[in-house]
Amino acid sequence: MGMSAGGGVSSLNNEINVTPMIDVLLVLLIIFMMIIPMSRKAIDTQLPDPNPQPAQPNVNPDQIVLEILPDDKYAINKEPVEKANLFNRLKTIYDPRPEKIIFVKGDTMSVYENVIWAMDQARGAGVKVIGVAPK
Amino acid sequence: MGMSVGGGGGVKAEPNVTPMIDVMLVLLIIFMITIPQINAGFKAVPPEGQNLKPHPEEDGDQVLGIDDQGRYYLNKKPIRNEDLETAVRDIYGQEREDYIMYVKADKGLQYLKVVDALGILSKSGVRVAALITEQQPGTESLVESDRIKPGGSQ
Repeated sequence: MGMSAGGGVSSLNNEINVTPMIDVLLVLLIIFMMIIPMSRKAIDTQLPDPNPQPAQPNVNPDQIVLEILPDDKYAINKEPVEKANLFNRLKTIYDPRPEKIIFVKGDTMSVYENVIWAMDQARGAGVKVIGVAPK
Repeated sequence: MGMSVGGGGGVKAEPNVTPMIDVMLVLLIIFMITIPQINAGFKAVPPEGQNLKPHPEEDGDQVLGIDDQGRYYLNKKPIRNEDLETAVRDIYGQEREDYIMYVKADKGLQYLKVVDALGILSKSGVRVAALITEQQPGTESLVESDRIKPGGSQ
C-alpha cells in the first residue's frame, strides 16, 4: 500500500482498495442469512393410542404394515422387499388405494436413519398418514 | 466504476463505503453469534430425506431432542429419562392449539431409543410426532402439497 506513494503528485490515491473485501463480506452475509431462516422440515407421524381399546375385533385386514428390519432390510406385510424395489412396490400398492395410511414398524435393532428413509419413500409413494406401531 | 474517469487529475467520484462495511460487519458478527446459540445444547445430526413436509418454526413449538448417545433434551435443555413423561404431560395435558411435538433425533441412533421416546410422548398426550429431517441437497419433495411454501420466498 505505501509503495504506491511514489512521487507525490496530487492525484495519487493512497486508500486501501476495499471492494474485494466488501464482496467477500457480502457473500458471507448472504450465506449466514440463508442458513438462519432455513425452514425446518419433518415427517409427521401419528402416535399410537396410549389407551388401546381392550378388544380389537376387526383389525382392518388390508392395512399395510411396513417393517424395517435390522441390516437395512424391509418388508411389507411380512413379505420381504428389496431396498431398491421398495419405492415401486409402495407405489403400486398406494396408487389405486383410497386410504393412504401406512403403519411403520421398525425393529428395535434397526437404525433410525433407515426408518426415516422408509417413511420418506412411503410419503413419496403417496402415503398421507404414517402411523408408528408401538414396540 | 466508470464514473471515476471524470476529467481532471485528482477528482474522486467513488462513494464512501466505510459506513456500509461497518454495518455489514456488525450484521455478520450478529449472525455468527446467533447461529451457534440456535444449535446450542445438544448434538444430533438429523437424517436426510426427500419427501418432507415444511414446518416453519413457531414460538410455541416443543422440540424433543435425542442426541447420539440417546440422551433426551426437552427444548434443548437436558432432561432425565424418568422426568420426560411428567415434563411432557405438563405441556400437553392442558388445552392446546395442537398436539404436535417435534422430535430431532440423531440419525445413527438405534430405533429402539426413538420408539421408546415416541411411546413416552404418546402416553403424555402428544398426538403427532414430527420427526425432524433435513432435505437432501438438490432434491425436492414428490408430494405436491409440500412444495407450497407459506412465505413465498426462496
